[in-house]
Amino acid sequence: MTVALDGVRYRYPAGDSDALRDVTLAFGAGEVTLVTGRLGAGCSTLLLVAAGLAPHVTGGARSGSVTTLGVDPASDKGRRKVAGRIGLLLPTPWTQLSGMSYTVREEVAFGPANLGWPRDRIGRAVSGAMALVGIEHLADRDPRTLSGGELQRVMLAGITAMDPEVLLLDEPTLELDPEGARMVYRLLPALAREKTVVLATTDVDRAVEVVTRVVLLDRGSVTADGTPDDVLGTDRAVALGCSTTIAEIVRVAGHAAPFPLTVRAAVRRFAR
Amino acid sequence: MTLGYRPGTGVLHRAHPFTVLALAGTVAVLAFTLSAPLGPMLLTAGLVAIAVAARVSRTLLTALAFAAPFWVFLVLIHVVFGDSPDRAVTVGSQISAVLVVFLMTLAAVHPGRLVDALLERGVPFHVAYLLVATLQSVPELQRRASAILDAQRCRGLRVRGSVWGRVRSVVPLAVPLVLGALGEVDDRALALEARGAASGLRRTPLDPPHDRLAERVTRWALLGSVLGTIAWRIVA
Repeated sequence: MTVALDGVRYRYPAGDSDALRDVTLAFGAGEVTLVTGRLGAGCSTLLLVAAGLAPHVTGGARSGSVTTLGVDPASDKGRRKVAGRIGLLLPTPWTQLSGMSYTVREEVAFGPANLGWPRDRIGRAVSGAMALVGIEHLADRDPRTLSGGELQRVMLAGITAMDPEVLLLDEPTLELDPEGARMVYRLLPALAREKTVVLATTDVDRAVEVVTRVVLLDRGSVTADGTPDDVLGTDRAVALGCSTTIAEIVRVAGHAAPFPLTVRAAVRRFAR
Repeated sequence: MTLGYRPGTGVLHRAHPFTVLALAGTVAVLAFTLSAPLGPMLLTAGLVAIAVAARVSRTLLTALAFAAPFWVFLVLIHVVFGDSPDRAVTVGSQISAVLVVFLMTLAAVHPGRLVDALLERGVPFHVAYLLVATLQSVPELQRRASAILDAQRCRGLRVRGSVWGRVRSVVPLAVPLVLGALGEVDDRALALEARGAASGLRRTPLDPPHDRLAERVTRWALLGSVLGTIAWRIVA
């Protein structure tokens, strides 16, 4: 497993309660894991802790063990070892701009350049990442003039250009239109063949189409961990408001769990 | 009125970032050491000529907008209510020269090239980035202030009218500007870490500027002019 959390508790500096409570989880390559829950459940915090940025950057107090790529990513030694090997995409693309780029190509190159790669390798990585997320046509645009959705794709390209072994995506489609969101989700299974991909989002309707595992959080604790059907098709997940629209409709219609999560699954179950 | 870097092909855009910064530093010193009022006036006129030649003349309009209130007050104090027009021209020219050169530098120096130039001289990335971020904070705050102004107008804030009304409108503009900027600091720190900015590895300069002999000579000449002027002021 490339990411392992064992009995992890974490509290923000200004917090009066733990944002994560006794979380024990492991993530590996080959699967796309969805981490979801209600607002404040701790999904974003889980990603920050796995990346070592909490408490290294955010401050606060962490207990328990976090091992990412064989080291504690929040330790001084660990930070150097995992630099560039963990890709974290934050939900607000405009706060992730480097501030020193005036074209999208330069912006995407910011991360690889920080890793000291040779220029020709950076050029190839940038072109590949821009092609992957479909933003080649934006290459010469000023990132400050882009829409939120375009900027979110630029940031995704910036992260994937670094070729990280672990991809932690926090609401990666928040600014995207439905088609853009579908395109991003379609990339994930291919990326997960060689990388560990953990996705934190409340956009469960679309995410459920591509994930192979779901972790449900509630007030900082893991309440369920398993396949999408096992976790999201339950009364509890629907009652928490963390399942799909289809599951909610089926439940409201008076059917019993397990609920279908997608239109296709509902058709399979109910169509005669 | 736009602050910050604007892509271009003029002589200042092509110049090594250190040369443009050396020009800015030289002007900042000469504006206050040259004989007044002729020295600062000629300096300002020279900068206007450079701005036009370097195709960054739009910065002159911005400088004019910033300098105009100073000129109005200087004329009121030293000409209308006083009897020292030379003083008004001197201080006005000094302010104008510094404004023009500062805005020209912002408009012509690509932040990425400046970082690359600093990295090539062995400056650590975090120091170079801090310098560039400081320069970039001006246009960044301007963009943010513009968005807040639009948002507050949509919510009924009146920013025109009487002087008192304008003063009152500053609070709902300034508070979100400052608090928003502070609130984003954490997010930006997280993003920079996530993008390898604190990796401890030596960053690859993406577009290192070529430092030609002529530019190195120019920078030494600028330094010489500063030292010479200071020496002359001390002796004279």
